[in-house]
Amino acid sequence: MASRVLIVDDALFMRRMLADILKKEGFEICGEAENGKEAVDKYGELKPDVVTMDIVMPKMEEIDGVAAVREIMKIDPQAKIVIVSAMGQHALVVEAIQAGAKDFIVKPFQPSRVVEAIRRVVGE
Amino acid sequence: MDKSYRDLFFAESQEYLRETNKALVQLEKNPNDDEAINTIFRLMHTLKGMAATMRYDDLADLAHALEDVFDGFRRKRLKLTSAVMDVIFESADAFATLTEQIKEDKGVSLKVTDYIKRIKNILPAGETISHQSLKKTSKGKVETGDEVDRLKKLVDKNNNLFSVEMVFNEACSMKGVRAFLVLNRAKDFGQIAGVTPSEDDLKNENFELNFKFVILTDKNEKFVTEELSRILEVDEAKVSVYDPEPSKGKKGANPMLKKIQSMRIPVERLDKIMNLMGELSIAKSRLVQIVQTKDHARLEETTHFLERLVASLQEEALKLRLLPVSFVLDNFPRLIRDLSKKIGKSVDLEISGSEIELDRIILDEVGDPLIHLIRNAIDHGIESPQERTRAGKNPKGKIAIDVSRQKGHIVVEVSDNGKGMDFEKILHQGQERGIISIDETSGIDSDKVLDVLTAPGFSTAKEITDVSGRGVGLDIVRNKLEVIGGRLELESQKGKGTTFILTLPLTLAIIKAMMVVMGKDIYAIPLMNIRETVKVSEDEIKPIKDAEVIRLRDEIIPIVRLGKELEIETTPSEDGQISVVIVEGRVKNMGLVVDKVIGEQDVVVKPLGSFVKKVKGVAGATILGDGRVVLILDIVNVK
Repeated sequence: MASRVLIVDDALFMRRMLADILKKEGFEICGEAENGKEAVDKYGELKPDVVTMDIVMPKMEEIDGVAAVREIMKIDPQAKIVIVSAMGQHALVVEAIQAGAKDFIVKPFQPSRVVEAIRRVVGE
Repeated sequence: MDKSYRDLFFAESQEYLRETNKALVQLEKNPNDDEAINTIFRLMHTLKGMAATMRYDDLADLAHALEDVFDGFRRKRLKLTSAVMDVIFESADAFATLTEQIKEDKGVSLKVTDYIKRIKNILPAGETISHQSLKKTSKGKVETGDEVDRLKKLVDKNNNLFSVEMVFNEACSMKGVRAFLVLNRAKDFGQIAGVTPSEDDLKNENFELNFKFVILTDKNEKFVTEELSRILEVDEAKVSVYDPEPSKGKKGANPMLKKIQSMRIPVERLDKIMNLMGELSIAKSRLVQIVQTKDHARLEETTHFLERLVASLQEEALKLRLLPVSFVLDNFPRLIRDLSKKIGKSVDLEISGSEIELDRIILDEVGDPLIHLIRNAIDHGIESPQERTRAGKNPKGKIAIDVSRQKGHIVVEVSDNGKGMDFEKILHQGQERGIISIDETSGIDSDKVLDVLTAPGFSTAKEITDVSGRGVGLDIVRNKLEVIGGRLELESQKGKGTTFILTLPLTLAIIKAMMVVMGKDIYAIPLMNIRETVKVSEDEIKPIKDAEVIRLRDEIIPIVRLGKELEIETTPSEDGQISVVIVEGRVKNMGLVVDKVIGEQDVVVKPLGSFVKKVKGVAGATILGDGRVVLILDIVNVK
């Protein structure tokens, strides 16, 4: 069965691009979220196999990207989260990894990198 | 690139530019508007990612430069003056113009490097800020040859020691973070040491594409190889059994403790249990008889007998798990000698109360936190002999570990007579980094200081040292204690020294709890968390903002209506008096409103199954004499 992906990014542009790349490779996009709060809510609702998470996003109810990783790991300690971040902000990415994110991809990314990262994380 | 992406890019970046301008205007009106700063920082970061994806490198670079500026504001490393504001406005306009020119596709005339140069001029000297910020949060331990030696000693039939060499792909970006990710992943299934180059060099990207470390793990070579090669951008993970070359350095300290796997039990304790078991089976046959004769008077007598027997049996069984604290403390004189020698300090150790017995499991859990505290004391607490002499102190420092029994708990105090902590400075830093907020009235309180010190990655150490690294790891100490139902407190006097007070439960299996009623059910609140119980009338509960508080002897205590919080139906009391249980939360005291307080009781803690494990506010369950299941509330996390 196709792995189900939840895409979290505040930019529609990035969400669309990630969705297209992943769909082409046979992943199912089960949902999209544009801020941390929505990501946490949707995670609980959709129980996706893997989440791609932008790290710098607007704060909603005190939940930004890193906090969203933390919250999701609380809901599901087995959650598989891949950070998608623009270059820089090393500290935030490190924080997200400490919070439990499994891997990270740096924007601009090669489509093949994204697919590979997600395949490796879900253990395909 | 697909045309639809292009359209989407321009539509969305225009929207973000509008938002940016709006926030900029707000910021000009009020230079302290943190929200505006955060918004622009985020927008620039997002635009940078989008532009880079579209390969509009000029736009990406400009956004990056602006992101650095706003990161600087966020971290209060950069002041917002009107000159700075001018540069920002101009750059934002340049960004808009450039976007427009790219969109029109009629050639680009704007020279982005001019703008970037001007932005760089307002940034503090040195690298970009987003890069520097890495150093602040890194909390890697500095590994030494001694660490490898230590792991070598732990090799047995279940644990292997491997050398690992990681090779990253050339296209790997942010390799410092990637190295951190690899080490973090490796720590999931083993202990690592001998990281070369050092973890700090790795984080600061002072390496090519490969690095090495040693790992002690119960997994096999294949597992380690597979697990590590699975990480993105890893070209190769070379794993081989560690070759024990003779180590150059002298034998090191033994900074982590082994878990207790077997223990001696005095024969008399076992005999006592056998005796009690014998009496228990006599009681059982008596009960069988009574069932036949239906003799009520004897039933009562036998029940009492049984009650006493079970209580003694429980007590004896718990004693089986007890070990003197010396089991752990005996390791410390050597540890302190080695650690202090290494950094050229001279420290005496005084231990008292080491004969006091503690549950084996708690002892296991408390060993590492104690080592952390001692390392901190030697590293940050005790001054160098020269400094001590100058301050009129004995050049030899002193660390004291004092174990005592207090009111159903075991209290371990770790104190040093070093330089103490500057509470004001720590609180100030905590406030600066947004860990705590302080209003003028609250004053200096050691719990707040502890909150700052235990924030992940926080450290007041100016230099990295071999002993406790940059992060002092107090967060780990505090978490560990809280997991086993203990507590960490801090006392310190500038110039005189620092004391950490660890309050531990006697055992994990049985706790004293206050039984309360809510609705139809009974709940247990661990007595350890409770300060007192009071009764108030409804009109003594006052609303403040969106919370409710009561006033208790000049102290304002926020109250939590437990029923509402846990979504349980409650029955209001008939006399109009409301029972409030005052508990000591992690940050502040709270009053929990319950229907009725029944009283204290010893309860046997049963862990919840995985099914209900994650329910918020519930720590476990217990079974009452009448077979009713009672939930034990987790006060620290209830709100």
